[in-house]
Amino acid sequence: MGRGPYEKSGILRETSLAPLKSTHETFEIAYPFEDVEKDGKTRRELLKDELNVTVTLYYVPFGEFDGNEVVFFEEEKTIDLKTEWIWR
Amino acid sequence: MKRALIFGLIGCAGCIMLALNASGAGGPKPEPPPKATTIAELAERYDSSRCADCHEEIYDEWEESLHARSVLGSPRTAPTIITTIEKGLKLFPYSGVKSDDDITVEHLMLCAKCHLPQLDEATDDVAREIVATIRGWQQAYRDGDDDKAEELEETIESLNIGCMVCHNKIALIHKYADGYPQPDTVYGGQEGDHDDDEYSLMAEAPAIGESIFCGQCHGQGPNFELEHPSQCATAYGSYLFAYVAHGGSESCQECHMYKSELGHNMQSYRDDSMIEMALDVKVESQSLFWRKNKEEGVVPIGVIDVSMYNKSGHAIPDG
Ligand code: HEC
Ligand code: HEC
Ligand code: HEC
Ligand code: HEC
Ligand code: HEC
Repeated sequence: MGRGPYEKSGILRETSLAPLKSTHETFEIAYPFEDVEKDGKTRRELLKDELNVTVTLYYVPFGEFDGNEVVFFEEEKTIDLKTEWIWR
Repeated sequence: MKRALIFGLIGCAGCIMLALNASGAGGPKPEPPPKATTIAELAERYDSSRCADCHEEIYDEWEESLHARSVLGSPRTAPTIITTIEKGLKLFPYSGVKSDDDITVEHLMLCAKCHLPQLDEATDDVAREIVATIRGWQQAYRDGDDDKAEELEETIESLNIGCMVCHNKIALIHKYADGYPQPDTVYGGQEGDHDDDEYSLMAEAPAIGESIFCGQCHGQGPNFELEHPSQCATAYGSYLFAYVAHGGSESCQECHMYKSELGHNMQSYRDDSMIEMALDVKVESQSLFWRKNKEEGVVPIGVIDVSMYNKSGHAIPDG
């Protein structure tokens, strides 16, 4: 708020969260894997089948992480990929 | 077409009844008060400390709010006023401002319209004194002169959106219908005598409990009535055209004063109870092997989907 109030002209690009509406953000995080050589063939192997994810939503009043940021939400989650999968 | 017409008529009947119920609040347009010639004089005219004698709790709440330091801000407002002068007014070819000596009330109204509406009761000297005080305060900080910085900060804070700004100066919005605020009256929800020496009467301000009251300063977009339209807060625009338009029905006061239990300490993201009222956040996750493309092949990924439902009354953040 209060950024460039003397030179702004209308809302040119709206990036805020609109009221009474859900906004979705998706994040893709790759599990660590490695391509290993075996019998002259390359096979992809999962190095870890669990990930600890922390989702933190910050309110950043002045556009920078300058000490004024406020945590609005935080959740830790463990996700896993323990299914069998043969890489071809 | 027909339906819209019928709804229109019912709406009008409601308006007329409201207008009739809330009569007699203001009066004829009073003589404008003499112009304040110093910061001290303007601050004295709108001093809230006297009200604390009898409205102690409300005063203590108000003192915590940004309304009590609406020129200083968090304290980002005062420095941004200087930026406005340096990067705006002094560089604009037709502003008439080449140095601080050229600054007038009209120039500062780009900001003071909302940050200090009573500046229209002061001379251009006061506008220049405000700028000089902010500069002095910044300099004292740079010099490490804490005493001076603190003293000047107090002077800047003496200019604020105090009790009499809301309960007198801007209390009545539709002046043709409700009259102009009178110099001896505090406007709120009651009528009768008021114990204060200077403001010896109480009268009703029909809209003080409505969102439009806050909307006077909380912005709808560019301030077109100014020679150079500034744009800062837009929460009231968002409230009207995004929140109410999609079925929202609570008022600013309901959320910020009552549900939050903060009363006159109107707050936002710095306050835990407001954060609690702001968003419903849900995190869902899924893990899978994803055949991405030829080059990268099958990639093991976790997909985190975060959904944020804004249950407040306007966009987050504002501005
Ligand atoms: C339409 C009324 C209005 C005008 C005009 C206006 N402001 Fe604001 N400003 C507000 C309101 C209301 C807030 C606080 C609410 C919010 O954050 O949405 C605010 C917040 C700010 C903030 C952030 C406050 C803080 O404490 O961190 C700054 C900085 C600011 N304004 C500077 C300015 C400057 C400089 C100007 C003039 C060029 C200006 N504003 C003009 C209403 C206005
Ligand atoms: C930003 C505007 C604003 C400021 C500043 C402000 N008020 Fe109010 N005041 C309101 C509003 C809005 C209401 C509630 C109206 C309603 O809900 O009907 C209110 C209600 C009141 C009431 C009656 C309700 C109650 O809680 O008892 C009193 C008394 C009052 N204010 C006194 C003060 C005093 C004293 C100050 C200064 C310390 C002050 N106000 C500053 C806007 C303001
Ligand atoms: C000597 C004590 C006293 C002082 C000083 C005083 N008030 Fe009051 N005020 C009262 C009393 C008592 C009431 C009536 C409260 C009630 O019945 O709820 C009242 C009522 C009000 C109301 C109407 C409240 C409503 O319910 O609508 C407002 C607004 C108000 N005062 C604002 C102010 C402001 C602003 C100041 C400072 C300029 C001030 N008062 C100074 C005692 C005082
Ligand atoms: C006279 C103009 C004015 C009125 C009327 C007014 N405000 Fe404000 N309000 C401001 C300004 C200016 C600021 C920002 C001060 C700063 O930080 O520079 C502000 C700040 C705020 C903030 C804090 C914003 C933040 O960044 O933390 C909230 C919340 C708020 N106002 C709510 C309200 C509500 C609710 C009402 C109506 C009951 C109201 N205001 C009436 C001018 C006003
Ligand atoms: C349904 C409840 C609700 C209503 C209605 C509501 N607000 Fe808010 N408001 C909130 C919550 C919760 C926050 C905290 C989130 C935030 O800071 O953005 C907030 C934040 C704010 C802020 C700070 C904005 C920012 O950039 O962080 C201002 C200013 C404000 N409100 C003013 C108003 C005004 C003026 C109105 C009426 C036109 C209003 N609010 C109506 C709930 C509400």
